[in-house]
Amino acid sequence: MDPIRVQIDTTLLVIGIAAYVTGAIVMLGFFLLRRPILRALGLPLAIVGCAAQFAELGTRWWMTGVWPLTNLYGSLSLFSAFAVLIFLVFAYKYDLAIVGGFLLPCAAIALGYATIWNEGTMPAVPALQSYWIKIHVPIVVASYATFLFGFCVSALYLLKDYAEKHFRRRSTAVRGLAAAAGGPAIDVNLKTGDYASGVGVKREDTPAIAQAAAAGDPWAVWLAGLPSLARLDVMQYRIIGIGLPLLSIGIITGAMWAKEAWGAYWQWDPKETAALASWIVYAIYLHLHTRPEWKGTRTAWISVLGFASIMFCYLGVNIWISGLHSYKV
Amino acid sequence: MEGRAARLSFAAPARALRASWDDLVTLFANVGFGVTLLAVWALLTTIGVIVDQGKDPSYYAGAYGPPLSRLILRLDLQNIYHSPAYIGILGLILCSMAAATFVKVIPRRIPRLHPVRIEAIPLHATLRVAGDPERVRERIAAFFAARGWQVRSRTFAGEEWTFADKVNWARRGVLIAHIGFVIIAIGTTIYWAKGYSGQFTVLSGQTATIPQNGATVSLERFAYRIDPITTKAGVVYQPIDYVSNAIVTGRDGVAHHAVIRVNHPYDLDGTLIYQATYGFGIDFALTKDGRPVPGPDHPLLEGEGFPIDGTSRAIQYTRFVGTIDRTTGQPGPDPRPNDPGVVIQAFDGDQSVGSALVPLGQPIDLGAGYRLEATRYVLYSGFQYRYDPGIPVVGLGALILVLGLCIAIYLLPARLFVQVRPAADGAEVGIAATTVKGYEVFEDRFREIVADLRRSEAAT
Repeated sequence: MDPIRVQIDTTLLVIGIAAYVTGAIVMLGFFLLRRPILRALGLPLAIVGCAAQFAELGTRWWMTGVWPLTNLYGSLSLFSAFAVLIFLVFAYKYDLAIVGGFLLPCAAIALGYATIWNEGTMPAVPALQSYWIKIHVPIVVASYATFLFGFCVSALYLLKDYAEKHFRRRSTAVRGLAAAAGGPAIDVNLKTGDYASGVGVKREDTPAIAQAAAAGDPWAVWLAGLPSLARLDVMQYRIIGIGLPLLSIGIITGAMWAKEAWGAYWQWDPKETAALASWIVYAIYLHLHTRPEWKGTRTAWISVLGFASIMFCYLGVNIWISGLHSYKV
Repeated sequence: MEGRAARLSFAAPARALRASWDDLVTLFANVGFGVTLLAVWALLTTIGVIVDQGKDPSYYAGAYGPPLSRLILRLDLQNIYHSPAYIGILGLILCSMAAATFVKVIPRRIPRLHPVRIEAIPLHATLRVAGDPERVRERIAAFFAARGWQVRSRTFAGEEWTFADKVNWARRGVLIAHIGFVIIAIGTTIYWAKGYSGQFTVLSGQTATIPQNGATVSLERFAYRIDPITTKAGVVYQPIDYVSNAIVTGRDGVAHHAVIRVNHPYDLDGTLIYQATYGFGIDFALTKDGRPVPGPDHPLLEGEGFPIDGTSRAIQYTRFVGTIDRTTGQPGPDPRPNDPGVVIQAFDGDQSVGSALVPLGQPIDLGAGYRLEATRYVLYSGFQYRYDPGIPVVGLGALILVLGLCIAIYLLPARLFVQVRPAADGAEVGIAATTVKGYEVFEDRFREIVADLRRSEAAT
């Protein structure tokens, strides 16, 4: 193999890992400290890492003529690259850079773990020698990456939601103490903010945090700077709204490939059925998101459960369970 | 009188039946019930992923231990995807989807035009504009129509309302997705009713017949390519290609040459033939005291065996070993037949009495004067075949499902309710918005709409 191309491949991989690790530290700093300079540094690092990863996968293809997604290394590498790409789109379009503090460490871990499976370049086994590998695998991996981002947003939602509940309990306890001491009850009639244009009424969805922040509680001040719960919920819905159709198309293209390779579009292979289970979990999410009483904390937990099922489907099934998608030696 | 009494006696049970039916439909149309069914479906599917499917009962005792294996076998978890519980859940989900579609999705997603209390809707605004209310109403209708909204006017209790809808047709997205699911179910049913599938193996030079359609497949030659690849973990033997050269004869009786590879099935009168497996058939020669005695009359495939006449013993050909490592006498890593051998297992009655790795061409002593020799190997090819007339229907259903999902997820049908009332110095415009996905997703857009309308009115 051309040593120059091998050197390019290695260099790009190192750049990718270095950019993600540095970017993860910087974006974690931004998540905690909210210094704009950290955001301004972290996002370009994420762009560099993502570009290096796509370039590395492209180089690998150019170097060997073998589609680079035939093994777990290529798949995990694409997974982290897609996750960062989706994050960058949402960071710039919807001002969600704050999620980078969660997402970039996950991408760095995924890429680091991928290198464990980097066996070099190997030709594909006969079952993988199909044009479907260029369609099915990127779509499925993109759906997994989307759900990783969705998971990060859900985690942020739950963090703020449970903090709100914590401050609400504390506020109630203080009021109870004041009442017990015979003093006047503290007014917790939380303010509702109007739109600047005077249109409609925007509900303050974390009033206890807002009140504690106004009282100078540093933890509450930090939490108040996170996007509102309503916004996080909408973002989570939008992300899953990208991931679920991708997963559906991925399952369908996988079924079409399976029909071409093995004679049946559905074989009840562990990977197929695990993907179906994940699809069902996200279908439950979409159904429950239409119910006001379920929207919010419960759907955020379902998103977390959905991502756990995706990880089981992606790594658990491939590594631990024998089947047609097994990477076990 | 008697006729009336009879009608009355039938009316009460009919009412009770109707009430029970309504209760049942309400239950099945309930989102909570549907979601519970989905959750059970996900749980059963996950159990099927974790518990190995379709193995012998003895396998579960070895793999999971006696208590767990008893539980698995008793609950039929080893065959979960074809169990009555699994099929029943799928049936219930289809019923639930049908009920929800007709009871909830259609009426709720395509709501009638009706007046509302503007202030009661979280997304609302009030504008004071100059001019006669009738003219203002016309201007507002023109404003929305120019921006792609479908504008309709209705009068309720003498009061005129203007309604503006965006992508109203997209309210049918959920309905379309549900229809996609039903079509997939129909396609699958067509296969169960009309399709067939199976598998067969053919030794090189032999012919097999597909029983369902009488087609024949004669294997001229099977070839494989396995390359040694050096990786960081050492040398691995990577399969590169499997190919069967065959002569196939279909309904028309004309023989066709077919090259069948993995991912490249051969279409024979609508039945697809797939390259599935390959292996090594073995010719065995049995002698007793140096003279040939009857043994197997055809090459044996892995797993096949033969009895030794006049004894209670039998020999089974367990597996083929491509390369025997001469230093250890054990199977080597290279699967290609460089220095081949076979693993055989001897049975006395039902009891295994031992196994051995026998190099090809070297006889092994079985005792009592018997000797067995694996004389040569013959490559065979394993095929699967499938005739599935439901495939286009399943494909159409999948397409409709994805289309419905995309419509339901990516398009946001919204409705604006506009009420224009006379005010002291002109007219008061009350405007409220609802969407199929709540209010938060439309907050920013609503703000822009109201700001645009305000600017437009100010300009007039």
